Amino acid sequence: MRRVIVGFGNDLRGEDGFGIEVVKQLQKYPLKNTKLIRTFQLTPELALELQEFDEIIFVDAAHSDTNHYTLACNLEKTNQNTISHHISIEMILSILNSLYDSFPIFQVYSMLTNSYDIVKNQEKYNENIIKTVKYIKNL
Amino acid sequence: MEKKKIVISPVTRIEGHAKITIDLNEQGGVDDARIHVTQYRGFEKMCEGRPYTEMPALTARTCGICPVSHVISSTKACDNLLAVRPPKAARNLRRIINLAQIIQSHALNFYHLSSPDFVYGFDAAPEDRNIFKLMQTNPDMAKDGINLRAFGQKIIEELGGKRIHPTWIVPGGVSHPITSEQKEKILAQIPQAMEIAQKTLKYFVSNLHRFQKEIDNFASFPSLFMGLVNKKGKLEHYDGFLRFIDSEGNVLEDGVDPIFYKDYIGEAVEKDSYLKSPYYKPLGYERGMYRVGPLARLNVANACGTPMADKEFERFKNLNDGKPVLNSFYYHYARIIEIIYGIERIEELLKEPETLSDNIRSHASINRDKGVGCSEAPRGTLFHDYEVTNDGIITGVNLIIATGNNNLAMNAGVKQVAQAFVDGNNITDGALNRVEAVIRCFDPCLSCSTHATGIVTSRIEVRDHNKQIVDVMHRS
Repeated sequence: MRRVIVGFGNDLRGEDGFGIEVVKQLQKYPLKNTKLIRTFQLTPELALELQEFDEIIFVDAAHSDTNHYTLACNLEKTNQNTISHHISIEMILSILNSLYDSFPIFQVYSMLTNSYDIVKNQEKYNENIIKTVKYIKNL
Repeated sequence: MEKKKIVISPVTRIEGHAKITIDLNEQGGVDDARIHVTQYRGFEKMCEGRPYTEMPALTARTCGICPVSHVISSTKACDNLLAVRPPKAARNLRRIINLAQIIQSHALNFYHLSSPDFVYGFDAAPEDRNIFKLMQTNPDMAKDGINLRAFGQKIIEELGGKRIHPTWIVPGGVSHPITSEQKEKILAQIPQAMEIAQKTLKYFVSNLHRFQKEIDNFASFPSLFMGLVNKKGKLEHYDGFLRFIDSEGNVLEDGVDPIFYKDYIGEAVEKDSYLKSPYYKPLGYERGMYRVGPLARLNVANACGTPMADKEFERFKNLNDGKPVLNSFYYHYARIIEIIYGIERIEELLKEPETLSDNIRSHASINRDKGVGCSEAPRGTLFHDYEVTNDGIITGVNLIIATGNNNLAMNAGVKQVAQAFVDGNNITDGALNRVEAVIRCFDPCLSCSTHATGIVTSRIEVRDHNKQIVDVMHRS
């Protein structure tokens, strides 16, 4: 099983950097058959790298005006038709399926937040990073 | 029938957030139409008080698609503050990364934003006219778009360390040289990139006959054109001089050093948009409307300067018997020619022995209190203008973003298309799609002018003669 973990977000934008921080922490561990990717955004050409993997784990910060610091594993269906220089998880999976005949299993680990200026509660933020790292490395 | 207003908001398949309003008269005809940029920017104010050395990194954050363009113009403004000229290797490397940026951006616009219109036609149902359908019916074309974009992005990553917001370009030059291995790695990708570009050109040219009505009506009108050209008057994206021409091809200004841009370009602000409306000063606002970007660059240039691009450049010039091409639909054509030029030019620059030199940075302290940097971004001419204290602290910033230069022309284009295709008594999706598509010709990057929140979708409003909204349509 070849696995890739994609942490995405902007670590200069407060809690949007959650996915990036999780991947940075995961780099400290010897994860077998696992590639780690940190990126600001998901882009169409990322599909070229992801097509060879059997499993993809996406880690990001998801917008929510309630339930801050809740860890979630859902994939809301929103604006599937939208494409820009950055794309959604659904879009990149669709590209993999349609163009590269690649049907990886995938998981999404999101921390819900609406704070993109600062890390509002450092303790909870760190706690979520540790929790997510622990979970992923024990998969 | 009473007067109505149609509003398309936000406009889809563009970079950023905008809406279009269309005013209908009592007969259902179009009286006026305008594009409104509804995002707010603020970089000019945010940067005040920061050291000039931070400007390339700060202003790169203006945009996630063309950060390299901002870094290029910003570092050139900083070079100007230091009164230094980067060494030849640094200039070549900056040129390479700038062209890589242009290639990847043009690829995204052509293959993923605009090609659904070319493949399925402007009247196709929205559920069929999108990238998902394209992936199903034309997977090779969708893959070509990804591969060409990857070509540009990999060069940016190879040189700049990362694909988005690289910090490798610094005041005075670049932070590290290119290695022979990196050079060979990039060169190895050139044949595939060129094959894709040529295939795309063939597809586009052979399908042009299907879009004669769009060619005739998509922002097809007389205007001025502005762009950088080199000393020989050829296509230039990094350095050179500003050239302004009129719609007949007469040169109005030539050899203008971009640091004097304010003598030629005025900046108007309209009450219904956050996007500035620059104009050619001698003709005043709005007569001084000009266009920038791929179409303008090819119109102002005497030649591209590379063999394959020049071959197509000749055909492009013949579209209007050697006079400037006025139809904005041909922005797409110009974009493909620029992709070909970019690939050829990158190869040439990589093969210049001096590009591998270790002499990559000039060092100096602040020598001027004002500095201007100018380059050609994918969407047109980009200006960064800084004022600093003796210690290099920024006290004033003026940015003219490529897309802003086209604001007046985009407005005129939206009106022309709306008048040609929109019938207030029978508003069709195909007509509204064309109103959006004319904007896509210009490939505006509104996120560049502002900062987007959320996802780009679309909304259309209808207003009566009292400017009251009587209907709203959402598109996504």
